[in-house]
Amino acid sequence: MNSSSLQNHMVESAPLNINDEMLNRIGQVTRALHENLRGLGLDKVIEQIAKDMPDACERLHYVARMTEQSAQRVLNATDLAMPIQASIASESALLKQNWQRVKLEPSLKAEYNETVEETLTFLTLTEKQSLESKALLMDIMMAQDFQDLTGQVIKKIIALTQDLENQLVQVLVDFSPAINKKESSFNQTLINGPQVSIHATDSFANQQQVDDLLDDLGF
Amino acid sequence: MSNLNTKFLVVDDFSTMRRIVRNLLKELGYNNVEEAEDGVVAVKKLQGGDFDFVVTDWNMPNMDGLQLLQFIRSDTDLKHVPVLMVTAEAKKENIIAAAQAGANGYIVKPFTSVTLGEKLSKIFERLEKVEA
Repeated sequence: MNSSSLQNHMVESAPLNINDEMLNRIGQVTRALHENLRGLGLDKVIEQIAKDMPDACERLHYVARMTEQSAQRVLNATDLAMPIQASIASESALLKQNWQRVKLEPSLKAEYNETVEETLTFLTLTEKQSLESKALLMDIMMAQDFQDLTGQVIKKIIALTQDLENQLVQVLVDFSPAINKKESSFNQTLINGPQVSIHATDSFANQQQVDDLLDDLGF
Repeated sequence: MSNLNTKFLVVDDFSTMRRIVRNLLKELGYNNVEEAEDGVVAVKKLQGGDFDFVVTDWNMPNMDGLQLLQFIRSDTDLKHVPVLMVTAEAKKENIIAAAQAGANGYIVKPFTSVTLGEKLSKIFERLEKVEA
């Protein structure tokens, strides 16, 4: 207790640089881990970690599964609805043409002419609105691309969590308070998944920037 | 080349994205579309059927999109097939690697139907110029 309030005091009065603060925190975590191990016994801690991490992964799998199911349902619905709208639009257009032809024939009946006009107005509107709702269905379909993007992010987090789990278990197995700082796992690879931060400087945020680079490269 | 019978192979490990790309191609008038869930399946399909165009993701299990592209460019029968990459990988290194490996186009996810249409017609235009 005294030592932690002393540390807080030190942080406030003389700001440590980032490395010192990081080492300080690792020290605190190591100490807490060490005390926990002594207090609870090694078996229980390993048991808890082994229980919690797979549970976290299971939850992420659940999110991935549910979003995929939901995206598939929307895609199924739009797949069915889009041809219906296209068909209504083309049938309306056809019927409109027929009525326009009929209209050219002179008729004495005023009611008849009036009905022809009304039908033509309706068909024009139907054709236009069917195409509009078909375009909206395309938008709804495109919006399902979140499933691919969030799915990739979730897969990555699951892998990271499993990695962390393995490392933690290893620490516990070794029962060593001195944690060997492993090499950073932030490898520079070509498979990083979607750009999740809008502040990233090493990735492109939009297609235009990608196109500009390709132009520079002569493609 | 840019006729509506062009046979497409859409490669992506997420079925949602395969369906979206397939629907977009359909909207553009291309109905001859097949799908593969990774590079390995894609290679098998490419060797089996006369595909005219490949639209591929990058990050996939077994064989990723860059490896698929490199395979296509090194294969005597397939090297002429245009490859459009549609991927969430947006680092400069990625785009350079894809360009150097011989990609015909590069689209970053999330993308719009307009972008896909533009890239396709641009690729077809260039191919026609080369052929002419």
